[in-house]
Amino acid sequence: MSDVERRVREVVARTLKIDPGRIEDRSRFVEDLGAESIQSVELVAAFEEEFDIEMDEEEALDVKTVGKAVEFIQRYV
Amino acid sequence: MNDKGPFRLLSTREIELLRMQGCFAEDWGRIEVAEGFDPASVRNSHFSGSVRLGRFAGSVRLPGGFEKPSGVYNAVVSNCTIGDDTRISNIGVHIANYDLAERVCIENVATMQTNPGATFGNGVEISVLNEAGGREILLFDRLSAQFAYLMCLHRYRPKLIERLRGIAREYVDSIRADRGQVGTGASICSAEEIIDVRIGPFATVNHTSSLRNGTILSSEEAPTTIGVKVIAEDFIVAESSSVTGGAMLSKVFVGQGCQIGRQYSAENSAFFANCEAFHGEACSVFAGPYTVTHHKSTLLIAGLFSFYNAGSGTNESNHMYKLGPAHEGKLLRGTKTGSFSYLMWPCRVGPFSVVLGKHNTTFDTGDFPFSHLEARSDGRCAMIPGFHLTTVGTVRDEAKWPRRDRRKGAAKRDAISFEVFSPYVIGKMIKASRHLKELQDATDRSVEEVAVGGALVKRLLLRTSQKYYRTGIEMYLLEKVVQRIEASLDDPAGDGEGAPASAGDAVYSEDWVDVAGQLMPRKRLVDLEDALETGSVATLDAFDAAIANILKHYRHDEWIWVKKAYEQVFGVSPVDLTGEQACEAARMLLKVRSKFLNLVTADAQKEFDESSRLGYGQDGEAGDVERDFRQVRGLYEENQFVLEMKSSIDRLHRRIERIEQAIGQRQGTERIHL
Repeated sequence: MSDVERRVREVVARTLKIDPGRIEDRSRFVEDLGAESIQSVELVAAFEEEFDIEMDEEEALDVKTVGKAVEFIQRYV
Repeated sequence: MNDKGPFRLLSTREIELLRMQGCFAEDWGRIEVAEGFDPASVRNSHFSGSVRLGRFAGSVRLPGGFEKPSGVYNAVVSNCTIGDDTRISNIGVHIANYDLAERVCIENVATMQTNPGATFGNGVEISVLNEAGGREILLFDRLSAQFAYLMCLHRYRPKLIERLRGIAREYVDSIRADRGQVGTGASICSAEEIIDVRIGPFATVNHTSSLRNGTILSSEEAPTTIGVKVIAEDFIVAESSSVTGGAMLSKVFVGQGCQIGRQYSAENSAFFANCEAFHGEACSVFAGPYTVTHHKSTLLIAGLFSFYNAGSGTNESNHMYKLGPAHEGKLLRGTKTGSFSYLMWPCRVGPFSVVLGKHNTTFDTGDFPFSHLEARSDGRCAMIPGFHLTTVGTVRDEAKWPRRDRRKGAAKRDAISFEVFSPYVIGKMIKASRHLKELQDATDRSVEEVAVGGALVKRLLLRTSQKYYRTGIEMYLLEKVVQRIEASLDDPAGDGEGAPASAGDAVYSEDWVDVAGQLMPRKRLVDLEDALETGSVATLDAFDAAIANILKHYRHDEWIWVKKAYEQVFGVSPVDLTGEQACEAARMLLKVRSKFLNLVTADAQKEFDESSRLGYGQDGEAGDVERDFRQVRGLYEENQFVLEMKSSIDRLHRRIERIEQAIGQRQGTERIHL
């Protein structure tokens, strides 16, 4: 597991208040992890702070799974 | 009205005929008739006092298309003038002290009477906004939202209030009369009692229970309806409105184009243009234009609203069993409250915000537009500033309000600015952004949330909210500048229709205000109030003209505000642009507006996602969910709103291409003056 992947999972678990063991690469934020629209906003904000990046809101719309989030963030860091 | 004559006394033969037809007069010498009067149209009626009867040659046309002969049948008539071709029939007790115009129909009414010195609802004081009093509005039938707003809210200018009340009082005195009026073509059918009520032309009063001390404004092009089982006292209902379905009004003003019904009850409240109120209750409410409440158990109390949508079960508290119902709340334009949301006054909510849940603490987020305000489990308010900027509902609202303007006729009493994005809202966004940045810079990362006006904002979201606001600010300013660029390119000489309007006597204020639906620079408002205090605006006509003049100057005032804000935000003045700067502005608009529209359509797409299909395909098999959903909701790709959003992105592309082409064809370093 890469450093980015580990930190993404930590952020997801912390923000959505879920067991890190439930989080897989293919986990969908909304359908599988139960992220509501406000939590999705908080996730983006948490990723931005964790990795000190600014994510484009429009592009972030396409990030539906944990794995995609890792790929997306790796482009910034 | 045929009350000016020529009238004549009845002949002996006519009196004899009338007697034979069951008529009686206490003094036949006080009964006058118009030329062409035919006694055959007056039967079984009792006349007392001075009565003038018109010529009953034609018929009246009733709602639904029925026609009935004019005349007076089975009625007790006292001190009335009855116009030509009017029909009075089956008046149980009496109709007294009324002047009825031509082609009026009054049938099956128990009592209709005007008492001496009636003012027909004019002059009634209603305790809006603060139920405990201190913000009373004096009702009169030319009351506008703007006049009422100043009278209600600007109590910190006592001289102004004195002047406004003086203007209103003078008007009320001019209305005072011993006789009521029913205008041409009005129809009153099956009413139990109508006391001291003036009824305008072409109004329909149908199966109403009780109307006391009121005015029903109406006209041929803007008829008004009062319907079944309505009980109203101390009221004014304006043109194009309907009050129906057992509504109960006490001390209520209903402005133009409103719909009130389905057992709605309201007291001490004012509803201005295009409000809709069904099922629920209003108490001491200032309902600015487009206040909408449709559901049972929704209580609006002691609040200021406009462009507002109340979810079912919305509730507010204006006292805590201490010094009485002294608290008030302000939901600034465009706010929505979700089902069973509760707000504890005093409280102020910023424009276009959404309130969810039960808020047990007070807060003031008035300077944070488009916010999401959700009650936490401890009752405190969690806010995400700017969150609703790109929600699909806001965009739909902006399009629907002008389409839903039900006010007919030329005279529109309330001045309305429909804009969602304006110096008023963008100015708030600029300030909010600045404040959020300061908070972000000053807050340590270990802090989870910060308080903003009593609401709590997650520290993480301080930056996110600034991004929301930046999108709105940039999109608005760039749109305004690009519109000017387009106009300038279309008409470089600046003297044609496409040319930018001259700023002329535009007025600048950094702060704009929302005066009950009308947006204006704060200085315009202060100038008007100064003029009222000094007496240079001293009549209703002058007040209305001043308001109309401010509305007329909206675009000019807006432009000089945009110029300053643009320079502040982008660091360059938009007044004198090089071709490259103009192209750059156009390209930036394309980028930011496209992003905005894409975010809006993405929000719309959520309405078609998997979670939106829960419960579809009832009793069917797995594949029926999709089929059922498609039949009921259609496809996202085919949704009318989504198509419109996509089409506006295409239109924007074409606009920008056109600008770039036009600028490319210009000579040398020619500048664009806006």
